[in-house]
Amino acid sequence: MKRISQAQEDKLLDYLDGNLDAIAEKQFEDEISSNVLLKTRLEELLAVNALFQNLSLEQPSKNFTEQVMMKLDTAPASSAWSIRNGVLLLIGVLAALGAISLLLTTGIFDSTATINLNQSELPNKILREQLPSFTLSGKLMINIIILLNIVLAWIVLDRTILRPYFQRRMQA
Amino acid sequence: MIIDPDLPFIDRILAGEQNAYAELIGRHKSYAYTIAFKILQNRPEAEEAAQDSFIKAYQNLKTFNREARFSTWLYRIVFNTSISYKRKNNKVFQSIENTVVIYTQEGEGLLEKTDKTKYLNLAMAKLNEADRTALSLFYLDEFSLEEIAAITGMQANTVKVRIHRARQRLADELKVILNHEALTL
Repeated sequence: MKRISQAQEDKLLDYLDGNLDAIAEKQFEDEISSNVLLKTRLEELLAVNALFQNLSLEQPSKNFTEQVMMKLDTAPASSAWSIRNGVLLLIGVLAALGAISLLLTTGIFDSTATINLNQSELPNKILREQLPSFTLSGKLMINIIILLNIVLAWIVLDRTILRPYFQRRMQA
Repeated sequence: MIIDPDLPFIDRILAGEQNAYAELIGRHKSYAYTIAFKILQNRPEAEEAAQDSFIKAYQNLKTFNREARFSTWLYRIVFNTSISYKRKNNKVFQSIENTVVIYTQEGEGLLEKTDKTKYLNLAMAKLNEADRTALSLFYLDEFSLEEIAAITGMQANTVKVRIHRARQRLADELKVILNHEALTL
């Protein structure tokens, strides 16, 4: 079956919506009157427009406004933390914790390093006093990182899982 | 500069007058519910999604930058919330190609008003949520293409093309329905 082109289809809709200028509109009307396919399609599109004449707004329940107003104070504020992202972050943090703990047990961080600031190559004009030297324990550093990770994991767990869960329970 | 009749209400709400929000809800609940219903095709879910959207809008009212109309901003929230509800409920998008049309034989003629509505809904159900919403907003005559684009998160040109295609699909579908009706008479 022969069909009109997509460009003609679009032009028909522009014609129906009054988007063509006067000259183009007149030319297109002449084209329609001499082309059966265009004329038929125009009638089909007009039928769609006629169907939409019955389209009206849907109405919500009568107590819609009251229900929303009641929920305004009780509804939990929407969180920027999505559950999916939060769970992924939590898994990442826990995986990092596991990996670090594993490395810690192998003794890889047991060494210590001493930093002597006097070895720096600063000119004597600036440095007139003896600078201290201090020792860094790898194990201590890693323990601090683990501690920070545990705190982070707890915050993520609270924001993404525990808090939404208990808020839902309170609402139920 | 857009003169938005909702701005005085927003100012009152931000000044602490919570009851002014009821007036905003009253002004926009029908459109909000219609958008939700066009996407979800289920009244209780649409009601819940629309209510949820009003709550989200209230909670984020401070972030409304007044560059667009409040209604556009609100309906964008309704649109996104309804799409989220739809995804949560795992309702599979039905494309125009693979949807089965269920024809029913009834004594009354096709062009009776109830039949018109029924066939329109049947044909509309075959479009995806964004097209259905865009088409409804277009025919409700309240929104410009730019506003429909802002609500549905598309470019204005894309909206125009999608509305065109959706109308063409509906015309094709209606032709099939009418032919079928004629054959079964």
